[in-house]
Amino acid sequence: MSNITPVKIWRHQKKYAPFLGKEGKIISWTLIKAPPVGYEEEAPYPVVLVELQDKKRIIGQLVDWTKKDLKTGKKVKIVYRRVGKVDLEGVIHYGIKFRPV
Amino acid sequence: MKIAVLGVGTTKFGELWEFSPRALVKEAVSQALADAKLDLAEIEALYVGNMLSGILGGQENLGALFAEELGLRCPAFKIEGACASGGLAVHSAILGILAGIYKTVLVVGIEKMTDHKPEQVSAALMGAGYEEERMAGITFPGLYAILARVYMEKYGITQKDLAAVSVKNHYHATLNPKAQFQFAVSAEQVLASPIIADPLRLLDCSPVSDGAAAIVLSSKFKTKGKTPVYITASAVATDSLSLGGRKDLTSLLATVRAAKKAYQIAGISPKNIDVAEVHDCFSIAEILACEDLGFFSRGKAAKEIAAGKTTLNKGKLVVNPSGGLKACGHPVGATGVKQIGEIVIQLRGEAGARQVKGAKVGLAHNVGGSGSVAVVHILKNE
Repeated sequence: MSNITPVKIWRHQKKYAPFLGKEGKIISWTLIKAPPVGYEEEAPYPVVLVELQDKKRIIGQLVDWTKKDLKTGKKVKIVYRRVGKVDLEGVIHYGIKFRPV
Repeated sequence: MKIAVLGVGTTKFGELWEFSPRALVKEAVSQALADAKLDLAEIEALYVGNMLSGILGGQENLGALFAEELGLRCPAFKIEGACASGGLAVHSAILGILAGIYKTVLVVGIEKMTDHKPEQVSAALMGAGYEEERMAGITFPGLYAILARVYMEKYGITQKDLAAVSVKNHYHATLNPKAQFQFAVSAEQVLASPIIADPLRLLDCSPVSDGAAAIVLSSKFKTKGKTPVYITASAVATDSLSLGGRKDLTSLLATVRAAKKAYQIAGISPKNIDVAEVHDCFSIAEILACEDLGFFSRGKAAKEIAAGKTTLNKGKLVVNPSGGLKACGHPVGATGVKQIGEIVIQLRGEAGARQVKGAKVGLAHNVGGSGSVAVVHILKNE
């Protein structure tokens, strides 16, 4: 069950560039312990809802985290990271995630 | 508006490994037709509420499939709107009647989920979400956990307050022979259950379920030997697919909008409701629903639920007498149809041990996604 295809990845890549390096703060978070297909090896992992400085809100995974980063108001920064598992066609999917500032 | 519900039927909900989707639909429909004392020949259209048959079962085209299975050759449709598929199928069926095209129609909701691995079900359900959310590896418990945390921090609510919803709904399910979990749980058991998506625990979450429910709707009011029950309002609203698109995370605006419209169409207010089936896919969801539907003021629902204000034989308004999604089970496409069935049984006075005494006005509330679509129906027995 693959939601992501090479064509979709190609089409979406150009949307990410303007977001890289942007900062914002966590307005809510969760820690996923029961993951969907493709994310089993990463669990448990935090997913955060972030409000960027321009007020736009984005959901993404938090990386390079420790327990003290899991709180509302925590400052985070957008980074470019691999997403999910490498699919059957061997395409590596990169996308947006957050890192604590 | 006034549409008669002539008959209702529902299979048991749960892990029904010995039954196929075809068998479940046949069972629910034969119950509904028997309840309505109608022949199949009187059905002019079939509406099927379902979400996951394609992504999990590899089967689409459910309208024709179930029409054939039932022996119908009438117009037939699959209606999909995530976990609100059942409610949307009821709404669509009503439109067919109100348009004057059909007089008597059959609505069936069906989902077969337990044939598949939990990770596959989680990923399939995320088909209701936004691409960015799927990419983040978030699940539906995760999305509602995000909502729960905002609500808990704003109103100073604890996990124990959330647990009161599951405790109540499990108690109601002990009185429902069709429910998936016919046993009580204590707040301590909820709080000791494993975390699924922090702060939501296993017993805050509705289960993965199989089941089907069916109702017969008609513009002809001849209900053979039963207390007549009518749908007097049917309203749908939508909101952003992703949580990132919402301004307020302590309310589901789609519910607020659909409810406002439904109350207006029915000419009633929230205080007129005696019994409600609301979309408690997670404990926090029932709390949001009770406020968005106007039953309690903002920030108060958790405490009111804990105080028994919506519990059978305690509250003036009873919420989720069936056990709700939490304890009756949540075969997603079936849920919205089952909710209408439960309200009909309650308004007829046929609910037995879980009967809400003297119930005259009922409400059914069905949500899809993390609040991207909501359906509200109001029913009366006069």
